Amino acid sequence: MSEKGEHEGNRRPATTRRRALMLGATGAVAVVSIRPALAQTAASVAHCEIPVPDAGRAGSYVAADGSLVAPGTTGAFPGPGHPLKGEDVKNALAGGQLPGTTADQSRAYTNYIRKLQSGTSGFTCFASLQMPRG
Amino acid sequence: MAEPLFRMARAEALRIVHLDSFVAVFHRSSGLTHLLAAPAPEIMATLGEAGLTRVALAEKLVADFDLEDLDDAALAERLDELVACGLVAAA
Repeated sequence: MSEKGEHEGNRRPATTRRRALMLGATGAVAVVSIRPALAQTAASVAHCEIPVPDAGRAGSYVAADGSLVAPGTTGAFPGPGHPLKGEDVKNALAGGQLPGTTADQSRAYTNYIRKLQSGTSGFTCFASLQMPRG
Repeated sequence: MAEPLFRMARAEALRIVHLDSFVAVFHRSSGLTHLLAAPAPEIMATLGEAGLTRVALAEKLVADFDLEDLDDAALAERLDELVACGLVAAA
């Protein structure tokens, strides 16, 4: 039994030596979420608003996939004309429909909201809608 | 009725940093950072962006890892945690 042999044995790659994994006892926790300062209370989630499209691109139409396109583009929708309410967006993200819109229109707006990035107005509201409860 | 498919959040929406026994995941879509301990990172990696049903996930975990327990209730709980924090989507 050589030193070299032992060394190689210890460094056997994962493909030949399967890693042990425990799913854990029920009740254990494997995920801890860190909330940034922008986390809002449940009450404010219902009242925050998301402009569609955001003020910087007001007048653009929203295509079915949620991208912003030139006004008048076929198959795209003009903005709803008023900011969408957090509570309505939350319902729409969960599979519901935005009030006062057709199914296609609601889907286009929801797709736009899903693509919101940090720095776009409405992002903070969207992010807080996604906060885990509790 | 088709079984729901669980898939990892889009990789480009995640920033993943390995920290010894933890994995820190910054989720750009929610602006949240999550600290994951085993078996959460392994479950996410196994699901991938293509996604798996819960049954297929269990089978793949059994095939890929030396599972010390395959407790369906525990797996369901781990999966629920990942869905609740937005790192895994059910469809």
